[in-house]
Amino acid sequence: MSNSYDVVVVGAGTGGYVAAIRAAQLGKSVAVVEKQKALGGTCLIWGCIPTKALLEHAHALKVIQHASEWGVTLPSGSPAIDMTQVQARKDKIVTTLTKGIEFLFKKNKITWIKGTARLAGPGTVDVVDGDRQTLQAKEIILATGSSPRSVPNVQIDHARIITSDEAIHLKQVPASLVILGSGAVGVEFASIYQRFGSEVTVIELVNRLVPVEDEAVSAELEKSFKKQGITVLTGTKVTRASATATGVEVDAETPDGSTRKISADLLLVATGRGPVTTGLGVEDAGIALERGYINVDELYRTSVTGVSAIGDVITLGTGPHPQLAHVSSMEGVIVAERIAGKPVQPINYDHVPGCTYCDPEIGSVGLTEAQARQRGYDVAIGTFPFGVLGRARMAGETEGFVKIVADKKYDELLGVHLIGPRSTELVAEAVLALRLECTAEELIKTIHAHPTFSEAVGEAAHAVHGAAIHV
Amino acid sequence: MPTPVLMPQMGESIAEGTIVRWIKKVGDSVDRDEPLFEISTDKVDAEIPAPAAGVLTEIKVKEGETVAVNSVVATIGGASEAVATPEPPRPAAAPPAPPTRDAVVAPDVTDPPHVKGSTARRSNGRQAPARAVEDDLRRHRSSPLVRRIARDHHVDIAQIPGSGLGGRVTKHDILGYIGEQGSGVREQESMSHDSGARVEIKPLSVMRKKIAEHMVMSRRTSAHVHSVFHVNFSTVEKIRQQKKAEYEQSGARLTYMAFIAKAVVAALRKFPIVNASLEGDNVLYKKDINIGIAVALESGLIVPVIKRADEKNLLGMSRAIVDLADRARSKQLKPEDVHDGTFTITNPGQFGSQFGMPIINQPQVAILGVGTIEKRPIVVDDAIAIRTMAYLTLGYDHRLVDGATGDQFLAEIKQQIEHFDPSAA
Repeated sequence: MSNSYDVVVVGAGTGGYVAAIRAAQLGKSVAVVEKQKALGGTCLIWGCIPTKALLEHAHALKVIQHASEWGVTLPSGSPAIDMTQVQARKDKIVTTLTKGIEFLFKKNKITWIKGTARLAGPGTVDVVDGDRQTLQAKEIILATGSSPRSVPNVQIDHARIITSDEAIHLKQVPASLVILGSGAVGVEFASIYQRFGSEVTVIELVNRLVPVEDEAVSAELEKSFKKQGITVLTGTKVTRASATATGVEVDAETPDGSTRKISADLLLVATGRGPVTTGLGVEDAGIALERGYINVDELYRTSVTGVSAIGDVITLGTGPHPQLAHVSSMEGVIVAERIAGKPVQPINYDHVPGCTYCDPEIGSVGLTEAQARQRGYDVAIGTFPFGVLGRARMAGETEGFVKIVADKKYDELLGVHLIGPRSTELVAEAVLALRLECTAEELIKTIHAHPTFSEAVGEAAHAVHGAAIHV
Repeated sequence: MPTPVLMPQMGESIAEGTIVRWIKKVGDSVDRDEPLFEISTDKVDAEIPAPAAGVLTEIKVKEGETVAVNSVVATIGGASEAVATPEPPRPAAAPPAPPTRDAVVAPDVTDPPHVKGSTARRSNGRQAPARAVEDDLRRHRSSPLVRRIARDHHVDIAQIPGSGLGGRVTKHDILGYIGEQGSGVREQESMSHDSGARVEIKPLSVMRKKIAEHMVMSRRTSAHVHSVFHVNFSTVEKIRQQKKAEYEQSGARLTYMAFIAKAVVAALRKFPIVNASLEGDNVLYKKDINIGIAVALESGLIVPVIKRADEKNLLGMSRAIVDLADRARSKQLKPEDVHDGTFTITNPGQFGSQFGMPIINQPQVAILGVGTIEKRPIVVDDAIAIRTMAYLTLGYDHRLVDGATGDQFLAEIKQQIEHFDPSAA
């Protein structure tokens, strides 16, 4: 039968397409059902790729704004951003990458079925629009992902009150922008539009920016944001937001209990993302859910035999599951290998790197100092500022630091938290160190090339043992 | 000229020593080689003689403190020198400050025990065998963290089934193995008693700590099994009674232990696997037979070793046993007296135990436990007879020695004892 497959994947985001490729590599016949017009999902089309493209534009503008420092002479007039060109370049990057996945599908003989999937009984998936058909599958992988979610009191209208989906497509730079939420999405757009020229206000309910990061990182980012001219309102709750003819009106309750009225061109809601299961028929299929997320075990099996789920749509029942492209991809690899009968091991979610591309960048992996203390570790901390490094001075990027959280008892590295230049790249060393169960001693004895930003990592390890060389 | 008194290096592998007691006080005059202080190291306890004659002008390391070898622990001035004047030479390694209230209030200022412990181990503890062990650990798939935990807990990583990629032993594996809760959950050190409970808390002595570590390490390392034989000592008893006076005239005490040691030597010659140890994937057959004999002390236990026991006759064996036991009790053992044992005999019977189930003295693979030797009724030719009997227990490492070998080895000891050649006495 032509529409019978070993594996049917629902969703072609970074979880789904990677699972499909891996399963195909292992000899399975694979079909992927995707309702969007392009492959790649949130990451490629609305998330990681377009936002990071915009951030590169912001960085280019930053360098040019400091042209005189670099001894570069510009024609008269101040440098400005041309959003048409920005959007064109960004869209070209996105298109190239989504086409790249199409190529990979062809190469691996994966069938791309355009339409919306619905579970229709054991081993059966109906495609209910687009290329309508009924698919038979030995194994089904649900990778339907997530979409932006608002908070009570704030109604998204996709015009004045927008989400990241709209924020990546803006045709012009708003004169003023209020951002609700200071997770990765919130602070990245703050950095982009502040650099592009918007007057930016970030409102965060918790008492610090980037609440999942180490508190020292939050403090450093807040310091930098304020220096750059971003208004930071932490511990602040939005009680009302309404669109007007010319913009938005936001009522915010500040920590002292008073209400602050803020007017702006746009309100960007970046308060998190919820699971996408609409129309999928998970309830009818008997799949257990928790707060709307699909419940899975540590090898991503749902409560229904033959149905697995990965990525943003799942919960492991052990607290929030990280909604990150690289996590979904790894889950995709694991689930495909499990289905192909290869030995697999669960992911250690303490070793998932987090990268936030705000300015200054944040890279982190493992436990924060507070988490480590909460788990009962006798904690040793080592911190080293980037500003001391020759490499940072050359680049003119002297903000931030590397902070290492270690266990005194066995010298184990528990967490590494970086904020500052190249932090999203530098974190890779730390991820490997945690993965290989490295001690601070081993990191000290690892030679870090000079002059590089990575010297800060080695120095922070020295500091764990009480003595960085260069401070 | 003031003479610095150093913490002696009691054997190659010893990195530090604890001052247990100062025999002399500041202001006392001492003769050269007169006992000055008592130390406890991880191998032996010993009295340390004064390096020079003079007056003890300064004590730099208090009782109970541990310092690295070659640290200056005291100064002896010339006989005429005043007590208060010394300009002490800088210690090679500064003795750690005593725990003061300040140190408790501000614990994060420095971390001297950690730093000092690791450097001391590095500089002194890494002689050839230690390095062999470390290489061995590296061969087994593990991680820096796992090797660190293994070192702290004296765990052989080879014994741990690895759940990681390619059988890699992970943190989770080793913490499970040593029975510690995973992911940072710490044992509550003060939970075993309420703060108001009527208990007295005393720190362990160095020796006690070492015994504790070694015993638990041995249990973790070896697959212990035990066999018990009932052995007739009547022949030995007869010889002993006959020869006792003769031996005493030549200044020796003829004990059962000498006979047992002779029997053990004969059995070890016949079963060299029992005189071996396990190193990684290799068996190390030891050419010398060095018998350790456990000696109970007031505060613990020490196992002095009769070197080349196979070269000794019964008289020599008797002398060696008495000499080592006496010196163990008077703290006169030298470090070399406790090294290089290849087999151990322990004697729980001296306190009345019928038999014991001894723990192997690592890295050896077997230990003989001697139960109480007494007259018991046994069946001889369908009649009940009274004979001098004892239970001998062999504890052995099933990784290397199977039950058949263990029992044959014990049977050989039994044979040797029950048919002891009187002409050999």
